[in-house]
Amino acid sequence: MNVKETARYALEKLRATGAQQYCCEARSARKSEFNVDGGLFSLLRTTIDNRLDLTLIKDQRRGKVLINEFTREGVDQAVADCLASAESAESDPAWTLYEGGRKSFTLGAPEGDMDKLFERSRELLETIKRDYPKVMVEQMIVEHDSAESLYLSSLGAEYATREGRYAYSLMFSGHEGEKTSSFNGCGVSADSLDQPLIELGEARRLLAEAERQIDTVQTDSKFVGPVVFTPGCAANMLYELLSNYVMDGVILDGTSQWKDNLGDAVADPRLTVSAAPLHPGIVCGERYQADGRLSENYDIIRDGRLASFMLSSFVARKTGREPAGNGSMNLVVKEGELPVESIIAGIDKGLLVNRFSGGSPSSNGDFSGVAKNSFLIENGRIGPAVSETMISGNLARMFEKLRGLSRERVADGEMLMPYIAVDGITISGK
Amino acid sequence: MLQDIVSQYKGGFAPGASTELRAQRNLTRRLALVSGSLTTNQRTSVGGIGARVYKDGVYGFASAAELTGEAAGKVLESATANAELLARHAGRGTGALPPVAQGSETHLPEYPDLPQKVYIDYLQGLDGYIKSKYPGLESRTLVAYHDSMEKLLLSSDGFFSHCLQPRSYVYIFLTAKGRDGAPVEVFEPLGGFGTFDRHFTDPAGLYAKVDELYELVMHKAEGVHPDAGSKTVILGGELAGMLAHEAVGHTVEADLVLGGSVAGPMFGKRVASELVTMTDFASTAFGKAAPLPVYVDDEGVKAEDAPLIRDGILVGYMHNRQSAQHFGHRPLGSARAWLFSDEPLIRMRNTAVHPGKDRLEDMIASVDDGYYLLKTGNGQADSTGEFMFGISMGYEIKKGKIARPILDTTISGVAFDMLRSVDMVSDSVNWSSSGFCGKKQPMPVGLGGPALRCRVTIGGR
Repeated sequence: MNVKETARYALEKLRATGAQQYCCEARSARKSEFNVDGGLFSLLRTTIDNRLDLTLIKDQRRGKVLINEFTREGVDQAVADCLASAESAESDPAWTLYEGGRKSFTLGAPEGDMDKLFERSRELLETIKRDYPKVMVEQMIVEHDSAESLYLSSLGAEYATREGRYAYSLMFSGHEGEKTSSFNGCGVSADSLDQPLIELGEARRLLAEAERQIDTVQTDSKFVGPVVFTPGCAANMLYELLSNYVMDGVILDGTSQWKDNLGDAVADPRLTVSAAPLHPGIVCGERYQADGRLSENYDIIRDGRLASFMLSSFVARKTGREPAGNGSMNLVVKEGELPVESIIAGIDKGLLVNRFSGGSPSSNGDFSGVAKNSFLIENGRIGPAVSETMISGNLARMFEKLRGLSRERVADGEMLMPYIAVDGITISGK
Repeated sequence: MLQDIVSQYKGGFAPGASTELRAQRNLTRRLALVSGSLTTNQRTSVGGIGARVYKDGVYGFASAAELTGEAAGKVLESATANAELLARHAGRGTGALPPVAQGSETHLPEYPDLPQKVYIDYLQGLDGYIKSKYPGLESRTLVAYHDSMEKLLLSSDGFFSHCLQPRSYVYIFLTAKGRDGAPVEVFEPLGGFGTFDRHFTDPAGLYAKVDELYELVMHKAEGVHPDAGSKTVILGGELAGMLAHEAVGHTVEADLVLGGSVAGPMFGKRVASELVTMTDFASTAFGKAAPLPVYVDDEGVKAEDAPLIRDGILVGYMHNRQSAQHFGHRPLGSARAWLFSDEPLIRMRNTAVHPGKDRLEDMIASVDDGYYLLKTGNGQADSTGEFMFGISMGYEIKKGKIARPILDTTISGVAFDMLRSVDMVSDSVNWSSSGFCGKKQPMPVGLGGPALRCRVTIGGR
C-alpha cells in the first residue's frame, strides 16, 4: 500500500476497535547520502523507509505502536497490539486528541538535485583543503531527505505533507605534526543549494578556530568570571535550562523550580526565547502535533518573564496548565544590540566557550563540565585556546543577569541564536 | 523469527566486489511510570533489508522497508549501482576486499514477545512498594525498556548467520529534597541480556535494590560540593567501564585513527601504567558470557576478542575489513549496524579494563584526601582522549575513610595521561550494558572494569 492507502486503512481498523479517539500517521521517507571519511568519499547510501504511528484512546486508556510495514497484515497486527497496549494501561483522563481540519503542506525542497549536491560536497572538501590546510575532515555526511506523509484522526484532522531538505554535518580537527586539536563539528539544514555549503551556519569560523586550537594553554588558576557562549553552545545551554525548568518531565514530577513562576521574571529582561518552527529561517519545521493541533510559534521566555511551559497536552491537562503551541525545539532567541566584538572588548579575563562537554545538570540547575574548543579572553581580546579547563555554575542564576546578547545571530536551519555572555562562572584549570 | 530471504542470493553477487545482504528486524518496548502516571506505553517494530557493496575503495548501500526476496534483489541492484556510481567519481581502483573465512553462525535464544501488560504490571507493583514505603520522596520514575536486533546475513565471501540479541532493563529514578530544598536524584539501571521475563518476574525481587537506592538518595541529600581541582580518586567499576569505552575505546576505532585520533602515533607505545590491560570482548569475557555477546559482525567476519592495551602498551585497534586492509591487521568482527537501513560501522562490543590484584577496601584506605566515585550519568570523549564524565554518586575520602557524600559533578582528564597515573586496580569487574553508544547510529554495547586509583580533575565550587 502507498502512504494514503496505508493511513486510510489504518484509520478504518482503529475505528473498528471501538476506541473513542484515535489517529495515525503514515510516512514514507527517502534518503540519499554521501559520506566522506578521513577526507575521502567513502559511501553513497540510498534508503527508503516507512513509518506508521498508531495511537488510540479507549475508555481513557492509551496505546501507541510504531511499525514500518505498509501491508494489510502488518497494520492489522499493529492495531491489535495497540488495542492490547491500551487495554493494559490505567485509565487517565488527561489523554486526548484535538479536532482538526484538512491541510496540506509543501515544505523545503521535496525534490533533491543529487548531481549538484555531489558538486557542493566536493567543493566543500576542496575549500577546506585550500583555506584551512591544517584541518583534517574526520567525517562529513551530506544528504537530501524527502518524505511524504498523511496524518488522519478520528476528530477530522487530515494533514498531508510533502517535504525535503538538504543537510550536512562535518566533524573535523586541526593537525600539525603529531599535535592535534580537539575535534569539533557543525551541521546545517537548508532548502536549497544556492550557496556553497561552507558559507552556511558557523562552518568558516569553526574551521579557522580548529587551526588555532592545535596549541593550547592550561588555565593555571581557579577564578570566577564571564563566559561568552558561541551561538551553537548557547543553544545547548538554553536546551539544558529549558529541560531543567519548563519541559514535561520536570513539571510532571514536580521537581522544576519554576513550576509556580508562570508570568514571573525568571531571566534577564533582554532575553526572549521562542519555539518557532514556522519561522522562515527554520527548514521543514513542524506544522502539526501528534495530538492533532496545528503548530504555532510561541514565546517560552518573553522579556525575561516565563511566558509558557513547553508541555504536551497530556502533561498540561495532568497538571492544570496550558499545552505549548508546538512540540519543536526550533529555538529562536532575540538578538542584542552590540556586536560580539564589543561584548568581548568589555571583558578583562574570561572564556569564549564553543562547546560544553558536561554531565547532565542537577535538578537544581547546578552544572559543571569541560569547556571544549574554547579560548581565553584577556584584556578585551580573544587569546590562546585552552585545554583541560572546566566551567561550573547554575543554569537559572546564569541567565538571570546577562552580560549581553550579540547583534549577530547564526541560523543553521534548526535555530536562530546570538552569542550569549554571562557572568559568575567558576573557571578552573588542572 | 525472520524467514530466510537471503540464502537464495548465494553465489549471485556482483563479481569483483565485496557484498553483504542483511535482513533485519528491531523490536523495542518502552514504558515509563512517573510518580504513578503511565506517560509512555509504546511498542515499536522496524524491519527491512539492506545491501552494501564495496568496490574500488568506496561503498554503495541501499535498503528498503520490506522483508521479501524481491526487495532483496532490488536493494542488491541499487547498492551495486551506488557503488559503481561513486567509484566512477571518487573510486581508488582497489577492487574487492581481501577475502575472509567462510562459515555460519546461528544464535537464536528463546524469544517470547511479551504483551505490554507484563511490563505495566511489573512497574506498577514496584511503584506501589516505593510509594507506600517511602512517601517522603519528591518523585519516583520507573522505566521498563526492551530491545532486540535479529539479523540474517549473507556475504559474498560465503558467511551466513542468523542471530538475535535481546536485552531488557528496569531503570529506577528516585528524587529527594536536598539540604537547600533543591531536588537531588539517583538512578540505577538493572537487567541485561535476554527477554524481560528472564530478569523481572516478581517486583519483590527489586525491593532490596530500591531500599539501597533510597539510602543513597537520602545520603546524597546531605551531600556537599566537591572541591574543584586535580585529585586522587578511586573510580568505581562503572566509571572504569565508561573510561574504557569513551576515553580509550573510541580513540582506537580504526576509522577515528584514520581521522586523526591521538592513538594513531601511539601504536606499540606505552599509553598506560603497566597495571592496565584492556580488551574489546566478543562473546565471552573472563570465562563467562559477555554482557551483550557478538558472534559475527555485519560484514560476515567471525567475532573474536580485540586486544587494545596489554600491560600499558597500545597493541591493537578495532577494525572493519577496509581499515584492517589499510593497516595490515586482521579484522576481528567489529563492524555492526543498528537498523536494516544502516551501514555497518566500526563499533565496540564489550569493552573492559582487566581486573588487578588489589582489594577495594585497601584502595580506599590508601587515599588520604580524595574521592570515591561510584556512579555516572553520561560521558563523552574526543579523538584527543580528553574525556568528561558526569558523576551522579560519590563520596569524599578523608584519611583512608569514606566521609561525606558529594553532589552531582563532573570529572575530566586526558585518557592516556590518566591511565599512566593508575597505581592500584581492584580484583573484580563491574559490567553494565543498558546504554547506547552514539556514533552516527546508536548501538547497544557492554562496558566494564575494576575500580582504579588514579588522578583526575574534578569540577565543583
